[in-house]
Amino acid sequence: MVIALSEIERRLLAEIQHGMPASSTPYRDVAEKIGVDIDDVLEILNSWKKDGRMRRVGAIVNHFKVGLQAGAMVVWQVEEDRIEEVGKMMASFPEVSHAYERPSNDQWPFNVYTMVHGPGAEDVRDTIKKMSAKVGIKNYKQLETIRELKKVPPTYILTGDK
Amino acid sequence: MDKLDRQIITELQMDFPISPDPYGIIADRLGIDTDILLDRVQALIGSGTIRRIGISVDSRKMGYSSTLAAVRVAPDSVESACEIIETYPEITHSYLRADEFNIWFTVIAISQQRVHEVLEELRVKLNIELSDVLDLPVKQLFKLDARFKPTK
Repeated sequence: MVIALSEIERRLLAEIQHGMPASSTPYRDVAEKIGVDIDDVLEILNSWKKDGRMRRVGAIVNHFKVGLQAGAMVVWQVEEDRIEEVGKMMASFPEVSHAYERPSNDQWPFNVYTMVHGPGAEDVRDTIKKMSAKVGIKNYKQLETIRELKKVPPTYILTGDK
Repeated sequence: MDKLDRQIITELQMDFPISPDPYGIIADRLGIDTDILLDRVQALIGSGTIRRIGISVDSRKMGYSSTLAAVRVAPDSVESACEIIETYPEITHSYLRADEFNIWFTVIAISQQRVHEVLEELRVKLNIELSDVLDLPVKQLFKLDARFKPTK
């Protein structure tokens, strides 16, 4: 069930979608910028958090700079009736940040996707081997990153300025 | 980066208080002065260790549609693909990967129709076949937690 955004909610989302001010009073500054009371800003954010539209407010870190230089997307070919069990086992690894089921097709048989992180390429490979052993699946592919082409926060409200 | 920086990074990723004085609350939790915390945070943002303080949105619940997609393009088309991808605000992350499907990207848009439009426009601009595009929307979420514990 999707709840439509109010006019103030849209203004707030447009203002903070790419990040909040790095000031000592970020919410106050955002409120001032969009012309509402700080309590309105806090109330909206709390309501988003409560209904799940927002997971949290927090720092987004560059994982390269906190010691996790290596990462890989690994795609797994899992039998249909084991997807849920395998997905949950994958999710239990602290080195795994993302685990999803996605559709497979004739030319792409993989249906479980994981992002694995570690200090170095070897750590990541070790983790992947451990995951493979734990779930008992050998049909997988590590899609190594050659280059990051783009990484920007989502734009939910188009505001004209980029 | 010292121990305090690592503590700050961990704390700021967990739950940034929704309060008039978020840094005062975090400083109390860490048992340090607010001014020291603010200086450290500014430095961590300045060095790019913290990309930003922001909101983590559940795009589906917020009313948006998304997918992970991959395209198979010839090596000499990678640069032009990059330029095309750059023009779409709906495409948020993109990676060149070592696979026959070599360009991977995420699309977040106001509707499923718009997601499909973006994929179709890209396909036409790249002059590739339908079979050169993988559209892989989430069927089931097992984990999404991109909060990282600093290790050094």
